[in-house]
Amino acid sequence: MPKRLLGLLLVLPALAVIAFLFILPLIMSAVGAFQVEGAFGWGNFTKTFDLYTKDIIFTVVIVSLSTVLIGIASIAIGGYLTLGEHPVAVAILRWLYRWPMFIPFIVVGQILRTFLSKNGMMNNTFINLGLMTPLDAVSFLDWRGIVIAFVWKQTPFVALLVAGAMASINRDTIEAARNLGASRLRLLVEIVVPQVAMTLTVGLILSFITMMSVLSVPLMINAQSPTMLTADIAFRVNSYGDYGVANALGLISLVLAASVAWIYLRASLKERA
Amino acid sequence: MERDGFLELRGVASRYGATQVLTDIDLSIAKGEFVALLGSSGCGKTTLLRLLAGFISPSAGEVKVRHRDVTYLPPDKRGMALVFQSYALWPHMTVAQNIGYGLKLKGISRTEIATRVAAMQSLLGLDGLEARKPSALSGGQRQRVALGRALAIDPEILLLDEPLSNLDARIRLTVRHELRALQKRLGITAIHVTHDREEAMVMADRIVILNAGRIAQQGTPEEVYNRPASTFVAAFMGAENVLFLNGAPQGDQFAIAAGPANTACSVPLLGRPLAAGPVEARFRPEAARLFSTDDIAVIGPGITFGGEVAAVSYPGGHWRHVVKLGDHEIMADAERAFEPGARVAVFVPAEALFLFGSPEAASASPISRAPSEKVHA
Repeated sequence: MPKRLLGLLLVLPALAVIAFLFILPLIMSAVGAFQVEGAFGWGNFTKTFDLYTKDIIFTVVIVSLSTVLIGIASIAIGGYLTLGEHPVAVAILRWLYRWPMFIPFIVVGQILRTFLSKNGMMNNTFINLGLMTPLDAVSFLDWRGIVIAFVWKQTPFVALLVAGAMASINRDTIEAARNLGASRLRLLVEIVVPQVAMTLTVGLILSFITMMSVLSVPLMINAQSPTMLTADIAFRVNSYGDYGVANALGLISLVLAASVAWIYLRASLKERA
Repeated sequence: MERDGFLELRGVASRYGATQVLTDIDLSIAKGEFVALLGSSGCGKTTLLRLLAGFISPSAGEVKVRHRDVTYLPPDKRGMALVFQSYALWPHMTVAQNIGYGLKLKGISRTEIATRVAAMQSLLGLDGLEARKPSALSGGQRQRVALGRALAIDPEILLLDEPLSNLDARIRLTVRHELRALQKRLGITAIHVTHDREEAMVMADRIVILNAGRIAQQGTPEEVYNRPASTFVAAFMGAENVLFLNGAPQGDQFAIAAGPANTACSVPLLGRPLAAGPVEARFRPEAARLFSTDDIAVIGPGITFGGEVAAVSYPGGHWRHVVKLGDHEIMADAERAFEPGARVAVFVPAEALFLFGSPEAASASPISRAPSEKVHA
């Protein structure tokens, strides 16, 4: 058998998996978004925007806010791991910060549900410490709960990438700035972070897309309206069997995710130029 | 020159874990002096420089600048700027931003920074490159940006950590002179770490040779080259030929007894603390002179060895011979080539013959221990 044919044969199973399990369903659902009772049209999208504009904005705001907070937290963690001068504190942080990464989203939702509710552990602790009266206790099980869950779960992942990148930058560049009198904060902001900007961007974009697709957290923490697009898609399919609107919502999610990926592609092209 | 007190190190020691990296370093550097810290890798020269810069604290001793104790001051409060071996330029900043960063940290106004950066650029021949990123510069340009970044803050002391070792051999030769000329012009005190003997000789006012964390010798290039204080310094400064002789001091002369390869002779003692008995003799290949045994002539005080040419090569400028003297081989240069197998006389002038007492000889070279092992065997 010719060598080229053999090569094709070897990649065929992988290609087939991608084609039949990924590309085909994607095209089908994209096409489905434009089908209303067998005919092509914008019906699903008008319905989607009528019903879910608020949820689209809610999703974008929550995920963007979470991304910003994850960025800040992971820079802080990576920065302390790189520049921290207390070896014991650095060792403890290094050991601690990764744990949430190994906890599934659904468990995170469950943990935070008991932690953040009106009678949850957080409020009870504050009340017992005398920092708050029981009357002031409010439930965090709304958008704030989702943001807390996302940041808690995704920060370790981004921090892991960022800390790795920070560890591999030339230490001399840090010491050169110290030699000229840069403070710890300036070292982090002006010397270290710019050198890991690309890794940070990649981590945040991957997080953004992950958060766009999480269903369990909004269902566990915030089952009211407005909620996130994933919950709406599940609701459309499970309760109404309405694949048209679900597909339209899915396509909107895809556009949102793709727009972030585009930012990344542009940045990486610029860096290579 | 205020020889005492500009930059002083007193009993400085440094440990890294259980390893003693530096021991008992005493050094006094004058204002405007160019000092080279010379040593092979692992001798502690970079540690000493980082200790001066303030990146590490000594385990003992003190560092003073103008009689002010700076031992535990942070790096930026010492009036010193360091040029790194890797240059350590910030890849995300332009040339102008790199040079101006120290000024920015000092809170100097933007227009003032711009003028000073421009002045530094023209001083270093970096005009027109202000908007470039370091990745778009040549090695020599990067090195000058690193130098400009250090000089921009107007430091009293410039610390140079092998700044030339990443340059092409040809550029390195010109940069040596440029750097030295610049240092003289600015009147800045410079401490230059290098493992390159020639670089240290050409650039420095004073050479400090480090060996295993201690100062082996310090002095002008001429002193360390012509009057090495120990076998280590002699070997490090190129006197690789080593022979063992017997002799005894006689007045202001040292009388060398005839040996298997050499005739009896005597050389001026020049205050060297040599005792009667075995001595280690070292000399450079280029200091030796070769004669065929027929036309041997006494040219002056010195020692003459008899031997046989084992090999000859031409490294450029002169012929290098490997000469077998008894059971030792030495290298000797000559204007003309001698055929392998030819009987030759090797003459070493007294001033180029470095003699060291036997205790040091015994510890410095494994060859010298061979006879005693034979005795025990």
